[in-house]
Amino acid sequence: MGQHNIMVKICVGTACFVQGGADLLLYEDFLDPSLLRICTIEGTSCLHCCKTDDQQLRAPFVEINGVVHANVTPKRLIELLREAQHA
Amino acid sequence: MLELNNQYTVMKRRIDAEVLRALFAGNLTQTVDSIPIKIIPREREANRCCIYKERAMVRYRIMALLGVDIGHDDDECKSLRAYAQEALAVPPVTLPTLTTITPGCSGCPDDQYRITESCRGCFARPCAVNCPKDAIVFVNGRAQIVEERCIACGKCVDVCPFNSVIHIQVPCEAACPVGAISKNEQGYVEIDQDLCINCGHCALSCPFGAIAERSSLIHVAQLLQEKEEVIALIAPAIEGQFPGNLSQIIAGLKALGFFDVVEVARGAHVTALHEAQEVQQRIVEGKGFMTTSCCPAYMELVDKHVPSLADRRSSALSPMAYTAQNIIRSRPSAKLVFIGPCIAKKVEALPIPSIYAVITFAELAALFVARDVDVNQQPSTLLVNTHEFEDCRDFASTGGVAAAVLRRLEQPVAVLPINGIDKKGVRLMRAWEKRPPEADLVEVMCCEGGCLSGPGILVHPKLAKRLRQGTNVAKVGAVRGDLKKHA
Repeated sequence: MGQHNIMVKICVGTACFVQGGADLLLYEDFLDPSLLRICTIEGTSCLHCCKTDDQQLRAPFVEINGVVHANVTPKRLIELLREAQHA
Repeated sequence: MLELNNQYTVMKRRIDAEVLRALFAGNLTQTVDSIPIKIIPREREANRCCIYKERAMVRYRIMALLGVDIGHDDDECKSLRAYAQEALAVPPVTLPTLTTITPGCSGCPDDQYRITESCRGCFARPCAVNCPKDAIVFVNGRAQIVEERCIACGKCVDVCPFNSVIHIQVPCEAACPVGAISKNEQGYVEIDQDLCINCGHCALSCPFGAIAERSSLIHVAQLLQEKEEVIALIAPAIEGQFPGNLSQIIAGLKALGFFDVVEVARGAHVTALHEAQEVQQRIVEGKGFMTTSCCPAYMELVDKHVPSLADRRSSALSPMAYTAQNIIRSRPSAKLVFIGPCIAKKVEALPIPSIYAVITFAELAALFVARDVDVNQQPSTLLVNTHEFEDCRDFASTGGVAAAVLRRLEQPVAVLPINGIDKKGVRLMRAWEKRPPEADLVEVMCCEGGCLSGPGILVHPKLAKRLRQGTNVAKVGAVRGDLKKHA
């Protein structure tokens, strides 16, 4: 069956936005309509994940159903949403 | 041209922000030599041959950021600290705007057509039949190109049913509209400054990051720290480049320490008025078509490559020049910083003494990040007294300049937009001397799509347009409609 409503928050803090997060806002273009239908997507102000020095945790960040993911590219976002869909 | 947000551009922005953070912390000269190591730690999986080359390339990026002409002044024995001390002691230098990083250049193979192993040596042989120079022969049942006869027309690529013919390009050379870039005797990239029009297309195309623009960012950051009367002139393309509406971007700039922020669309209104009057005059006098004059790369193109268009250009100054003139009248001691998507603007600004420096949107982003200024958290206010020039914010996209001119005319005129300049476009413009275009007003944009696609942008033009229109991404806060509602 899978999930029917996935909450997606794309960070639009400046750091995320300039590190490639802006591309995620073209989600209507790269997400499959079937996936788009079950997602509630919104922008969010800085999630404060960029303030750490951890090399692995880099902008852009996206929160999916309450879990924050780092280094999210459009390709990665599709993967993450598919995972969430079938979780 | 490469996708906007590739690994290289993202890395570039990170380096810019890191260097600025050190500057603002007051320890740039002490720490700058460790920044390449901080950014490329030893655990990193290298994308170039090794982490040491990656570190070397970060070092070169920092040099470009400090304004060093790497192609000529690369001293490997000199520390970044020494470079930084020198750079900060003098005002920003601009020419040449683009510089090459030889160690980064891959020395790509020459532009060529090649038949790959997938060739089946078919019976119909469309490649050989369509080749106008009989340059295709068959050896061991497979097609081969005779280099001496090939004129690189590309017909064989189009007709092969197996896609067996490939066109190998040198990305920088292919992107350059004026043949200013080529390989030197050692096989590495070199820019002929006498031919270069500073459009920046080569820098956008090189997947190795071997072409860099020399920056004035560090000087602007320094100026802001000194709390001088620094005024930001923001190009019409800025709306949609940051997560917030125009008033929030302006508030963000003030948070960075800019004394005031002025929209260049103000000056664009003067440009459009002037051009409207001039095109009308030319029609009355039967002088033939006129081109716009606001794209600085186009201005250089005419000066260096298409002299026949010299008298065709409108005598109007650019929006930047009018805006600067206007500000300086009331604030003669102000230092102006133009912030736009363009590299050629740096050259245009050179003879204007009031303009201290030109930086790009991508560079401004580094300032925001280094100063932790969140644009979408800035207060959204109603911008007042913008009615007169509001439509000139569209100078940023193809068709926008001509539309603004038309709106200031009583009688409509015939318009021809030139949406981006490539090699073919230059040939077309040269031919106008004999066969003039059927138009009264030719609007020229060197970048396809207009300034929204300039080399210094931050946001995919498609998204920038949506943010400017306030459609689909209302969530981000960049809603132009919002402002109208209040008005």
